[in-house]
Order: sequence, then structure tokens, then C-alpha cells
Amino acid sequence: MRSGVVGLLTLALALALAAAGCTTDGGQGAQPAGDVAPPGGGQAAQQRQERNLLDRVRSRGELVCGVNAEVPGFGFTDEQGNFSGFDVDYCKVIAAAVLGDAEAVEFRPLSTEQRFTALQAGEIDVLSRNTTYTASRDGSEGAAFVTTTFYDGQAMMVKADSEFQRLEDMQDTAICVLSGTTTELNLASRFAAGRIAYQPVPFEDNETLQQAFEQDRCDGWTSDRSQLAGVRSNRPNPAELRILDEIFSKEPLGPLVRDGDQDWYDAVNWAVIATIQAEEFGVTSRNVEQMKDSDNPEVRRFLGQPGGDDNTVFDPGLGLDPAFAVDVVSQVGNYGEIYDRNVGPDTPLGLERGLNALWTDGGLHYAPPYR
Amino acid sequence: MLRAAFQVAFVVLVGALLWYLLGNLRTNLRVSGLPTGFDYLDRPAGVDIRDSPFRPSQPIRDAIVVGLVNTVRGSVVGIALATVLGILVGVARLSTNWLVRKGAAVYVETLRNVPVLVTIIFMYTAVVLRLPPISRASEWLGLIVFSNRGLVVPWGVAGTGARAFTGVVGGAFALAVIVGLWRSRRFDETGEPHHRVLWGGAVLVIVTAAGYVAFSRPVTLTLPTREGRIVQGGIQLGPEYAALLIGLVLYTASHIAEIVRGSILAVPKGQTEAANALALSGFQRLRFVVLPQALRIMLPPLANQYLNLTKNSSLAVAVGYFELTRITGQIIANANPAPQSIAILMLLYLALSLLISLVANIVNRSLALETR
Amino acid sequence: MTAGPTDTATLEPLPPPEPEPPAPRRLPPARWVRENLFNTWYNSLLTVVLGAALGWAALRALRFVFFGARWEIIQTNLTLLMVGRYPRDQLFRPWLAILIVSAAAGLGAGLAARTAPRPARWDAFKRAAPGLALLAVLAAFARTPLPALLVAASVAACLAARTAGTRLPDKAARWLPLVYLGTVVGAYLALTAGGPGWDSWGGLLLTLYLALGGIVLSFPIGVLLALGRRSSFPAVRLVCVGYIELIRGVPLITLLLMGQFMLGFFFPQGFPRPGLVVRALIAIVLFTAAYVAEIVRGGLQGVPKGQSEAAQAIGLSPVKTTVLIVLPQALRNVIPALVGQFISLFKDTSLVAIIGLLDLLFVAQAITQQPGFLGQGLQAEVLVFASFVYWSFCYSMSRASQRLERRLGVGER
Repeated sequence: MRSGVVGLLTLALALALAAAGCTTDGGQGAQPAGDVAPPGGGQAAQQRQERNLLDRVRSRGELVCGVNAEVPGFGFTDEQGNFSGFDVDYCKVIAAAVLGDAEAVEFRPLSTEQRFTALQAGEIDVLSRNTTYTASRDGSEGAAFVTTTFYDGQAMMVKADSEFQRLEDMQDTAICVLSGTTTELNLASRFAAGRIAYQPVPFEDNETLQQAFEQDRCDGWTSDRSQLAGVRSNRPNPAELRILDEIFSKEPLGPLVRDGDQDWYDAVNWAVIATIQAEEFGVTSRNVEQMKDSDNPEVRRFLGQPGGDDNTVFDPGLGLDPAFAVDVVSQVGNYGEIYDRNVGPDTPLGLERGLNALWTDGGLHYAPPYR
Repeated sequence: MLRAAFQVAFVVLVGALLWYLLGNLRTNLRVSGLPTGFDYLDRPAGVDIRDSPFRPSQPIRDAIVVGLVNTVRGSVVGIALATVLGILVGVARLSTNWLVRKGAAVYVETLRNVPVLVTIIFMYTAVVLRLPPISRASEWLGLIVFSNRGLVVPWGVAGTGARAFTGVVGGAFALAVIVGLWRSRRFDETGEPHHRVLWGGAVLVIVTAAGYVAFSRPVTLTLPTREGRIVQGGIQLGPEYAALLIGLVLYTASHIAEIVRGSILAVPKGQTEAANALALSGFQRLRFVVLPQALRIMLPPLANQYLNLTKNSSLAVAVGYFELTRITGQIIANANPAPQSIAILMLLYLALSLLISLVANIVNRSLALETR
Repeated sequence: MTAGPTDTATLEPLPPPEPEPPAPRRLPPARWVRENLFNTWYNSLLTVVLGAALGWAALRALRFVFFGARWEIIQTNLTLLMVGRYPRDQLFRPWLAILIVSAAAGLGAGLAARTAPRPARWDAFKRAAPGLALLAVLAAFARTPLPALLVAASVAACLAARTAGTRLPDKAARWLPLVYLGTVVGAYLALTAGGPGWDSWGGLLLTLYLALGGIVLSFPIGVLLALGRRSSFPAVRLVCVGYIELIRGVPLITLLLMGQFMLGFFFPQGFPRPGLVVRALIAIVLFTAAYVAEIVRGGLQGVPKGQSEAAQAIGLSPVKTTVLIVLPQALRNVIPALVGQFISLFKDTSLVAIIGLLDLLFVAQAITQQPGFLGQGLQAEVLVFASFVYWSFCYSMSRASQRLERRLGVGER
């Protein structure tokens, strides 16, 4: 009898959920929230409010930023709970641009499996957590990627004393990989293409994965090359590990925001672009004050200084302070400074700029004109 | 009248709250551009599931089924092992042997008071992963290969006629039960020794053997052999599964042991004394007098432990065994909506719990009837 | 309605108290050994085999603890394990809370000692042993003398309050609940008033907070649910039964996941959202309330019907009957079961490590990844330490609840 009651309730719950699904099935996809003015007062108000994440972040006075806490160089926490790293610095860049204060960030460490849900549910304002820009993520995850901050590729790490020199050597091996990542998908396609039989050993977090790799639970660990370099650099003796030369995927990494809020997207995007633009102009955290008086009208415009024929301040209408680039560069730095500080040749990671150099140096970073 | 009004108001209030929450859910899903229905279950999952023939091109609903099967696999095996170990330790706690008694007490008091999650993680990172790596795997008598990539044991490989042979084994089992029942009735009517187990076992063995010969070796045994980093043949128990199972069994058995001990102590003392008066041996006393009565007392709390074990199998997320919770997490991570996925997860656990309660209810009732 | 197995299951009695040892018969050692270890041939065999196995295991364990294990990782991170990222300049707050709690506990013990029979010295030692062991271990790992001094101060405060408690007039016992309430509020204020927010709590502090907060907040909800389940209104009954069975049918981890990932979906955008710790606490409270409800329901069923009939006969309203007559008797009977629930809740808080809260277990795992300790296989050390901390709390509480059960005479009427 009691089971009957519970069964009934279960059924009711299932029906309620199904009903919640069915009634709106038609609307899905056809009406991306922000674009069409929705009928009905309550919903309209809610969506207006929704569109205004920029205002909400301002009134909150703090940016909630989803980050990684496990990869040295990109997102890592020390003993005192301080976050540091390349992706973490981009949270600070956005906070500096939007709020004028690079420290007004609440960091929310997230696992690979948690990150998209946190973004979709509006738990975080921006996700800056070495996330690869892909079509399906842009399409069905409800995410919108801004300008790429780091061009990366997937690599394989093995123990230095193992016999593996190329991926083709890895016949019949077990490969550790983080689940819910593009790496997991690339691994499957690369090894299938090379007819390499392997056993995937997916884990949810780097911590358990690392322990398993340590104990020879798997022969290789595949991830973005920069992440592997970060993990390797963090070890007491990095020489025990070796990263194979082959890069077998394209991994453009960058911050992303939730779909359907164009104002917020623009603000975040241009905060990121500003770091690249600053490096192009040679504006650094050290010389930014002098550069305000630069003879170059482009630089003066970029830094929000009065200039041009009518001596006015240029405001592109991004909803940001005209001088936001000054806050970004003075408080965090330009792209080159951020790169060198966290992952560059002088850090334990020791990554050369490579693809991440400016376009003028043969790299891929190219800032759209600021005018 | 007032009563009716109150009830209506109460229901309306609860309904309105649910309506409000679900409405928000719907709006939020739409705003995020996420599917609001369950159609996403037909999309390809796109990932591998370790230790399973699942392919990335199969739909998500199949992945959930794999997760459910793995959860059941962990729970059923865990329940069986925990019951055996629990009864052993519970009886040991009442042993006349001081060392056995104290040893059992130490086991119970230690494992019972440490979180099962800690035990599972300990088993994984500090025990199973520390087994020899595959390059130095232990091989015993050519039968068992074990390393920190898993335990490989001999296993049958289905040949032609395997399905028919399975049917024969099932039939043999049924026949054995029937023969056993017949012997019991015979014993009740005439009092001649029943030897149920002997008769039933003989029937089972003879019929199975006949079937095996008739279908010309429908099942052959493969032995695990190691070649470099891989092990051919046999069946593999993954280290993550092993860690989960050991953790769950050790923890649950410590609770079951206490239930068994309590139930045995709860059997009236007169029963034991009467058994002694009949000059039954210690084993006979336990087997025919004390345990059957204790069983009735221990069943309800035992069912509760089975429920707990099933629910605790979700802690496998911590060691990466691909059961229901773990696979749901993976699905959510791959471009699929969390609310629906978690709702499905909860409904499936609810269904499992109800199933266990139902079985426990039936068993309980049938045992209760037997006494009258 | 027939009572299914799970109905009584939550009321699963705590294991019956260890039978009082019979008056110790002093046997000569040789005879004791013969009677207790070698009385039959199979017992002799068991003794030899098991003795060898246990001896070997004990030797290994001791060797690990005293020689093999590298405990520096615990020494270095002791503060992190105890309080997580609680600001280091605010550490006086937890210490103040500890002082308040130990003084109150001492006072309570002192007042109780006047009515309860004085335990034998050996019993008293056995009771305190797990707690003392924990203190000793923590003091051994501390790298400065300050924590040891503060622990000593707390113990002294506890003992002083106990002495004071035994000397207080009889009437004072009546104020004890108020003292406890004041202690909880005081300790809470010491930690929070003007102090760091919950999201910076961690380690054992967070574990304790989640467990205590969980049981205290879930208690009133649980009582209401239990009353609702026995309500004469079918609609109320249905909702309560539905809630209780739904929650009891799913694992706690799914509720925690729901709080972390789904809560956002259930509220309008821009709705203020509680921090992660509060969310975990809400999930824990909702979960525990269903179990508390079943325990309380068991207690309600145990109150003889004559009680409520008698109350009605003297003209008490149904509400008064419930509040004044039935509930007090019911609650008294379920105190041991509630302690049992608290113990399992204490263990269950370790699940928040899975969703990334920095509780004791999470910190224990995380410190093995510090640059100085990475890749040295120190998981055994940290997990053994965490297990020991959990164990000493749970074991003392389960012992205390068994004594309580004996004193209240539950199940003896």
C-alpha cells in the first residue's frame, strides 16, 4: 500500500517533468531568448533583467568567474587558497574592464563536468577555464565563446623511462584522460585513425587521474599540451615525465559566457581583445601612464584619452568605461605580460609563444581595430 | 468543511510552489538555449565507457542503461558479499573464543565509525592502485592475473548452442528445486530422511552435465594470459570496481554484523536452553533453533542496509567506476541539460529503492506466515 | 496500512548495549586461556590461525604508523586540515568556540555526575579514551607549543566547570538546557560575528558545522513531517509520505549535486543565490529531515494510545495533547536513535568533498597534490589520519548513545 502511494508520487513527478518539457518543446531553438521581444509582462521583465548581466555584475560589484583549480600555470590554488594562472588573470582582466578593480572577482573552482551547467544555470558570469571552442559547445551548450586567448593542441605525456616515442608505439595501452573534454573525443578519433588499440581510462578530476597515472594505472596521459606542461612542471622532478612531440588536435582555448546576452558578450570580448591590442601598441603595465600622452592618436583613443580633431574621448558604446583599457593593462598587464608571467619561457612551464605570438611575429593573435 | 478547506489550501500551496519552481526551470532552460524536453536522450553519447562494449555513436539512453547495469552489478554483488561477511562476523562476535570475539569487535567498531567514502577512496588510492603494475603483474598458476589494472580470472566463452545450454541449466535448477520440495513433503508425510540438498544437487549436476555433453561443449573456459601490457582471455574486474566493492562490503558488513548479533541476542534465552536440553550440538543449535528465529528479527533492518548499500554505490564517482551517477555526470558534461539528467538519475534510484523494499516486503511476509 | 520492513528499518535499534560483563571471575591465567582460547579443537585451530593473521596485521599496522609513514604532510598541513582556508588571523575564533563548548560540556557532565552513579575509574577512562587519543595525536602533530597550551586550557576549563557543576545547588540543573542553547549560540557567534563568511570555512570545522547544523535544523522539520505523516488530513499525509519516501529513496549525493547545479535553474535570474556551503547545508537538512521524521514517527507510535485518550478525557485540545503529552514521551524514546542519525550524518558530510567543498576529506586528498608532497604516494598517510579523526568522533558518540540508551531504559518497558 505504501509502495503504491510512492509509486503514484513518482509517476506524478515524472509527469510534471515531462509536462514541463512538452509544453515548451515547440519554442526551443526557434526563439533564442534575447532576440525576440517576448509577450507577457512577467517573462518580459525577467528576460530584460536577464539581458542585463553587465548591470547586474556592476551592482553586485563583483565578477563570479568559473576557473580551474588544478592546473598550474592556468588555474591553480595555493595553500592559502589564492588563485593564480593564465585563465585566472583573464578573470581579473574582465573584472578590471567592467568594474575597474581587478581584485573584485569571486573565483568558483569547477570540474570539467560541472563547468557548462554552472554557466547555463547562471551560477557564474564567465567561464575562464581552458575550455576549447567547438561548434557543438557554441551551438548546444548555450555557450558563446569570446576571442581565443590561447592556441593549444592535444599531446600525450608518458613516463620518461617508457619505450613510447610516437603515438604509434602505444599499441595496447591504457590512456588516462579527463572525461567530458574535447581531448576524450580527439583521443578516440586519433587512435581509431591510426588503428592503435587502446583502453581509455577516463577520470573526473586531475587529482585522481594523477594518482592513477603515478601508479602506472595507465601508460599515457593525454590532454592539452599546455596543461600537461603545467602538471609536469609542478612535479618535484619534471624530468621523470616526457611529452611526445606530436600535437594531434586544434584546441583554441578562451573565456566563454552564456548565450543570449549580447551586451555582456561584447564587454567580455573587448576586455580580452584589449590585452592583445595593448601588446600590439607596446602598452605595458609599466609604461601605461606615459602612453596616455602618446603622440599616436590610435593609442590615445585606445586608452580613452581625449584626442582627434575635436579633442573628445572615444566611446565605442561597449558599455565599458572609455578608459577601461588603462585599468586592464595597469592592473593586470597586456597579453605578453600575462603570458610570460604564467606560462612563458621563464616559468616552470617554459612554453614558447609559438602560435600565441602576435600576428606581426608570425602568431595568431590579431586584435580587430579599436575605432 | 473547515477540514476540507484546509486540505485544499494546503494542496494548492504545495502545488503553487512546485508550479513556480518548474516554471522558472522552463524559462531558464529556454533562456540558456537548452532543450526543455527529453529528446536529447537520442543523441549520440560521443564517449567511451570503460570496461563496456559501449560505442561513442550509441545514444545517450543506452549509456544510462549501461550505468544502471553497472550500478546493479555493484549493488547485487556487494549485497551478497556483505551478507556473507556480515553474518560471519556477527556470529564471531558471540563466539566463545576470546580472540575471535575481540577480533570481530575491533573490525566492527573500526569500519562502522569511518565514513564509507573514506574507506572506498582508501581502498582505491592506497590499496588497489598500489598493486603491482601490469609490467610486473602477478600470475597465479596460470589461472589468475592481477595488477593495478584489474584482476583477470578464467571465464567461460560462449560457443554454439550456448543459449540452449543456458536454458538447460535453468531447467535443471527448477527441477532441482522441485525435487527438493518433493523430498520435503515426503519427509513431512513419512518421516524418512529428506536429504533435500543431496537430491537437488544431484539432479542439478546430472542434468547440467548431460546438457553439456549433448550440446558438444557449448561453453569453454578461457584462461588469462599476459602479453606485455595486455591480458588476453578471462574476464577482467577493473580496479575501480574492485575498490568500490571492497569499500562497500567492508562498511556494510560491519553494520550487518551488528544486526546479526543483536538479532541472535534477541532470541529468547529459553530457546537456547531448550536446544541444549535436547542435546543438540552447538552447530545444530545455531542452524535449527537460533538462526531461523533471529532471521525474522533481522530482516527489516537488513533490508535497510541493502538499500543503503545500493544508494552508497553512487559514491563510485570518487574513484571513477562508471555507474549511474558517474555516467550522468559525464552526460551533463557533454552538452546535455543537467535538470532532466539529474531527474532521471533520481527516478532510477527511487525505482531501485522501491524494488528492494518490495522484495523485502514479500520475503518478510512469507517468513511471517511460516510461523503461524 | 501494513508496516513494511523499511518502516521499522529506520528505527533500527542501535545495536543492543554490550551485555554487562558478569562479575569478573578471577581465573588463574592458564585456566582462562584454556577456557577462552582452547576449549575445543576447532577453537584451538581458530585461535592459532586468527592469532597469526591478526598478529601479522597488527605488526604491519604498527610498523606503518611508527616507522613507515611519513607524517610530515600532516604536520605541515595541520591547520589546513582543521579549519581549511579560515583566515589565519582569525584563528582565535575557533579556539574561543572550543573553550566555550568544553566549559559547557564540563558543566553538563558535572551536573549529571550528581545523579548518575559514579562510574568506575576504568570505565571513566575508557569513555574518555578516544577523545584523549585524538587530542594526543593532534598535539603530537602540532609544530608550535601554542595549540598544545590552548588544548590544555580547554581541558582545564572543562574540568573546572565539571567541579563547579557538582557543587551547584540542585535547582541549577533546571537551567541546563538554557546553558546548552547559550553555548551553541555563543560558539556560533564566536565564529561568525564580524568574522569570515561560511565559504571560507573548511577542514574539520566545516565537517562539524555541516553535521551540527544539519541535525539541529532538520529536527523541527522532521518533527513536523512525522506529525504530518500521522495527520488525520489525507492530503497532508500524502504530501508528507511523498516527501519522506522520495528523499529516502535517493542517495544524498544526488541531492548535493542538485543543490550545486540545479538550484540556479529553479530561481529567476538575478535571484540572490546562497553560497556553496549553505547550499550543501540545505541539501543535508532536507535529506536528514526525512530520516528524522521516520525516527520520530517510530517514537510517536511507541506512545501508548491510553496517553492521548487520557489527555482528551481531561479536556485537552488535540494540539495540546500532541505538544504536551505525546511528543515529550515520543522524543524521549527516540533520543538514542537520533544520536545514531547524527553519527551517520557526521559520516555523510564527507560527501561534500565530491562536490568540491573543502571539508576534512577534501583537504586530506588535496594536500597530497602540493608541490612538496606530490607523487610520493602519501594517500595512505592522509586517509589514515582523516579516518582516525572521523573514527574518534563517531566511536565516542556511539558509545555515549549506548550508555544513554541504558540509562533511559529504552526497550526495557
